Amino acid sequence: MDSPAILTEGLTRRFGDFTAVQDVNLSVAPGQFYGFLGPNGAGKSTTIKMLTGLMAPTAGRMQILGLDLATHLTEVKRQIGVVPEGMALFGRLTGSEYLNFAGRMYGLDRRTTAQRAAELLDFMELSQQPHTLITDYSHGMQKKLAMAAAVIHGPKVLFLDEPFEGVDAVASGTLKAMLQRMTARGVTIFLTSHVLEIVERLCTYVGIINNGRLVAQGSLDELRSGVVAGSATPAGEKMTLEEFFLHTVGGSRAATQELSWLG
Amino acid sequence: MAGLNPTLGAQVRVIGFLRWRLFVNSLRSVRGRLNLVSRAIAGVLVLGAGLGGGIALGAVAWGMTNEHQLNWLAVPFWLIFLFWQLFPVMATAFTQNIDASSLLRFPLSYPGYFFVRLIYGALDIATALGMCWCLGLVAGISAADLSLAPWALLAVAAFVIFNLSLARMIFVWIEHWLSSRRSREVMGVLFLLMMICFQVAGPVLGRYSKWAAPQRFAVLAKLLPLERVLPPGLAAGVIEKAVQGQHSSALLSAALIAFYTAGALWILHGRLRAQYRGESASAGEKPRALAVTNGAAIRRGWKLPLLSGAISAVFEKELRYFSRSGPMVFTLVMPVIMVFVLWGGRRALMGQQMNFVFPIGAAYCLLVMTNIVYNSFGADGGGVQFFLFSPVSFRQITAAKNLAQLTILALDVCILWLGVRLVFHAPPMRVIALTVAWLLFATPINFAIGNLLSVYSPKRIDYAVFGRQRASETTILVSLGVQMTVLGVGALALFLGRRYHTMWAATAMLATLALFSITAYFLLLARVTRIALARRDVLTTELFRA
Repeated sequence: MDSPAILTEGLTRRFGDFTAVQDVNLSVAPGQFYGFLGPNGAGKSTTIKMLTGLMAPTAGRMQILGLDLATHLTEVKRQIGVVPEGMALFGRLTGSEYLNFAGRMYGLDRRTTAQRAAELLDFMELSQQPHTLITDYSHGMQKKLAMAAAVIHGPKVLFLDEPFEGVDAVASGTLKAMLQRMTARGVTIFLTSHVLEIVERLCTYVGIINNGRLVAQGSLDELRSGVVAGSATPAGEKMTLEEFFLHTVGGSRAATQELSWLG
Repeated sequence: MAGLNPTLGAQVRVIGFLRWRLFVNSLRSVRGRLNLVSRAIAGVLVLGAGLGGGIALGAVAWGMTNEHQLNWLAVPFWLIFLFWQLFPVMATAFTQNIDASSLLRFPLSYPGYFFVRLIYGALDIATALGMCWCLGLVAGISAADLSLAPWALLAVAAFVIFNLSLARMIFVWIEHWLSSRRSREVMGVLFLLMMICFQVAGPVLGRYSKWAAPQRFAVLAKLLPLERVLPPGLAAGVIEKAVQGQHSSALLSAALIAFYTAGALWILHGRLRAQYRGESASAGEKPRALAVTNGAAIRRGWKLPLLSGAISAVFEKELRYFSRSGPMVFTLVMPVIMVFVLWGGRRALMGQQMNFVFPIGAAYCLLVMTNIVYNSFGADGGGVQFFLFSPVSFRQITAAKNLAQLTILALDVCILWLGVRLVFHAPPMRVIALTVAWLLFATPINFAIGNLLSVYSPKRIDYAVFGRQRASETTILVSLGVQMTVLGVGALALFLGRRYHTMWAATAMLATLALFSITAYFLLLARVTRIALARRDVLTTELFRA
């Protein structure tokens, strides 16, 4: 069996007295489309920041493609692509200038970078505004550009923090198709999203984090069937991902509560 | 439904409470507490300036009243007026202000909204000082002639209300213009031109100082009638006419000030009414036609000889950023302005002194550059995350940034040399050598410490925005210390060179120091990656801050 594309052991991050991520043990196989879910403030972004080198863990070990992040940070960075929470764009460059920059930062030569940048801009339908600065792009266009920059070097593992937020339905469809083709070719995708339908449609494996702890992890089928540890659902009874998610993170209280003064 | 009809008073109290909570919550962070200390220090300074200026203006007004020279009273009124209106524009116009029109989502009546916008932030430094100084005028005039006290009070009250209204009107309109990035940049360019005008004002005035006095007075005489019908002149006129017993004319002048006030309030009303009716503050950002080009080929990135692709990419990115930045253009034209300013005062420069225009200009070029060097990740904002997850070390990224900064500095110095050569004469070789040696000593020190502070104390800046954008307080303090040190060393070398008539020895001394500073630069550069990784949380948090 291949070693996991992403592996964490006892991953913990504290901010003073507050523990944002506690003892998280993730295992994502190569080629898996892994959805990482959790309510707001659960620790999703902190985890993804640690996995991409944007933040140092307080404790624990992380391996990407068998390489320890603590000792092989640069080697790992060469093989991953990231669309972080804030998109990490340089607002006063144009789209093509940014992709040129990104490709060369990942070590591509000038010709290949220019060629791929042109293809990506065309694919993302951003090529019609070559002189527009990124700061003047719409939010959705910025998201698409960030995605283009994350894949320009052909990464083996892709980390996406809310990649579909603000992207229109047409572009969203294009991006989903691209991501599915990537996983078919063996690329591992680690995605966080608040939209459970997207995760349900795209991901094969799901992890759920709540209050900094990984409370469930498994294939979609396993989660729905309730065979995953942490689930109290009787085995054999299928649930939707939303039902399982709400059940796992304790969202049922909010659903049953009523505000009597609301019309 | 009962309880859903809040009074204006209740809403204003709630807004006041909101501002109070914002202030209290800001004290939770060290930065907020430091800001409070800075504000306290600024408050003491403002109090001093207010009291000092008030007493001085009071004394001036007292003297004018006693000497029956009230026709000069318009001068202090004009000074107060110019300060009151220009200072807030200079201090805040080019920052991105909080959109107070967000209050419109609440059920606020239009009079309530108008009132809130009128008083929201009205008590700024300019208002506080302006009011103190106006009170000084009243006190001075009243002390000299108590019978004038009611007229002085009337004039000053009308003048203060006018200034408050005008300042709010200007602020609201500027806020509207600055709501779009493009107009912020246009304002930035205007600011740049204004700065140049201030720089050039000295030489131009110097040039025209040879005018005969009668000619100058003729120009002033032509301007006087215009001055008399404007609010500061009218305010002085109220008192002047009261002294002459023309009470109805004095009242008419006060009424004219009220008329100007009504005009300012009417223009303010126009803007606020549009906001109240649903035009958001950002409506100034008009959608622009997209420049559509089909199949445009992507240009290849730059390739610098002997350097890696990553360094070339960062170098290219930096220069593209600089080229799209108003302040950077300012940096590049600064040496030319410097030469022009010195040319204006060339008659004061004697023989040997002309030789030092080049080193002084070069020091000025480096000083202007420190603004960027000491916060070199500031303009990257959220983009710094890209540097952190890319497989390029911070050492390389920082080196590329320094290379771009060095290129601009070198270009600046070359322009300066050309300007000095054209306007004065070519600087002697010994002066050029001394200047280059000093730059070789001072630049690596500035880069080394600038790199450390860029990582330790970053602060987000926008190159397109002028005004109250500064590096952190710590950075400013350290930068000041470094500049004093390198300038002191340069001055010492120059002094020794002149004292012992051997400029080459001074150059050798600076060149030796340069070796140490270059070594220190590379030693610190080697540690930048480790420091940046240790500080990555701070870097992303601070540079992501809106």
